[in-house]
Amino acid sequence: MSIKRGVSLYSYQQAQFFKQMNWKDMIKEVHENLKTDGIEIIDEAIIRDYPFPSEQFIFDWNNEMARYNMNAVTMDVYLDVHQFRDHIMTHREAAERLKNDIKIAAKLGFKNVRPLCLVPIEVIEMALETAEKYDVRIGKEIHAPLPIKPGTRVQPKTGMAAALDFRMSEQIIELAERTGSKHIGLVPDFGIFQHSPSQVSIDYAKRKANIPEAIDFLLENSKNYSLDDIGTVLSEKYPTHKIDPGTIERMSLHESSANPEDIIDIIPYIVSIHGKFYNMTEIPGKPGCYEDLAIDYETPIKYLKEKGFKGYINSEYEGQRDQQDRGIEFLANEVEQVRLHQEMLSRLIGEKI
Amino acid sequence: MFDNFLIRNDSLENVYKDDKAIGFKFAARIADYRGCFLSLHNGYYIECDGVEYPRDLQKFEVNGKEPRDFEEIKKCVWEHWNYDDEGYVYVEKEGGLTPGLHTIKFQQSILATYGYMPWDAEWLKNPPVPGHGAGSGKTANICSFDLELQERR
Repeated sequence: MSIKRGVSLYSYQQAQFFKQMNWKDMIKEVHENLKTDGIEIIDEAIIRDYPFPSEQFIFDWNNEMARYNMNAVTMDVYLDVHQFRDHIMTHREAAERLKNDIKIAAKLGFKNVRPLCLVPIEVIEMALETAEKYDVRIGKEIHAPLPIKPGTRVQPKTGMAAALDFRMSEQIIELAERTGSKHIGLVPDFGIFQHSPSQVSIDYAKRKANIPEAIDFLLENSKNYSLDDIGTVLSEKYPTHKIDPGTIERMSLHESSANPEDIIDIIPYIVSIHGKFYNMTEIPGKPGCYEDLAIDYETPIKYLKEKGFKGYINSEYEGQRDQQDRGIEFLANEVEQVRLHQEMLSRLIGEKI
Repeated sequence: MFDNFLIRNDSLENVYKDDKAIGFKFAARIADYRGCFLSLHNGYYIECDGVEYPRDLQKFEVNGKEPRDFEEIKKCVWEHWNYDDEGYVYVEKEGGLTPGLHTIKFQQSILATYGYMPWDAEWLKNPPVPGHGAGSGKTANICSFDLELQERR
């Protein structure tokens, strides 16, 4: 048995937005055209009337999954701490949301839930008993700009990287060991192996920038500065630029946040993997073979194979959002992009189709 | 995200009360890849033909209920705006809009987060005023739409 392929229905968010596909069409596409069975969802995108899905929705979902013999792998769950508006959600309240999400996941047949990397470890621990009871594993996401192991990396003081705890994976493993629970683990996102901005996001940033050359300046010079310094340098060079901090952070990416070999040590804790990608293009000289030029898939998958990982990598297409600022003729084709990504996955994992 | 598609382009209409135009409305979608608890919905930056219409002139209609202002929306802590659903944004403007083409500049504000952030206490005390990027979710740019006013139905 090899690594398994799946698809996060997140990949088809645009088709869902335009009502070109509903979740049933997506499941059918995965079954009929991608010839695989792994399904991952975003709870608040797919579950009608979340967090109170009707009995009919639950039955309909389970029935459709049974119809095609599909496997509900992971349900991605969220934490909006401003829900109540008169106070910031306490950790105990956050755990209540997670526990409720676990119960919903169980009803829909999911084996795992994926809380975000910013969810405090204490909140995860408070929900662990519920996870055990419902036999749903909690896989905390390792999302860029997190490393797997901090090593000697210096954590930036600005941007998303400043709000995260670089020791996250370590904390999860410590919790798993301390409690002896098999219901706690990790969901690495392939975005941690992204080493450069994707062409689609560079193009978007340039279309939005009042000084497009400022984007080129970031692409060429970010490797010489820390993330904390590059903004200052940019403002000195282009005082009138209006590039927002998020775009500066994305355009300054010049090395992956995680080392591919670090994945080896966390394999026993991986519940499933997000196959994040932005833009599949044909490999020169290899007709019919595709790659994402911004993300290293080959090295991490080589380690996963060698060390016997047998879980799911679920395609998670995100390049569409960078192509929605012009006419409909410029919109990305999500179905096609996911098919190309699945070609790459099956080739790299060495699946015999 | 969905920059050019957040407002349905054939949805701009005047709103009437007792046969008098009291404002306009248009259909909007959520600028994110997921729905949200309705309470997180924090209003809009709306500029129509160069005039700004702040949050206290706005209402939002969703889930088959009457249009509600954003003080009421704030209290809808268990109601959800589904990702698939359109909502109507209502804007107060005496006399409504004139027939023809109108330019609407638009940014949605939803206080969705991925967990605890350094600005949580500030957002609780002073929720961001829509239009400055903070709380604009996945669409940080102000998007511009040229919309034809639809005939009265």
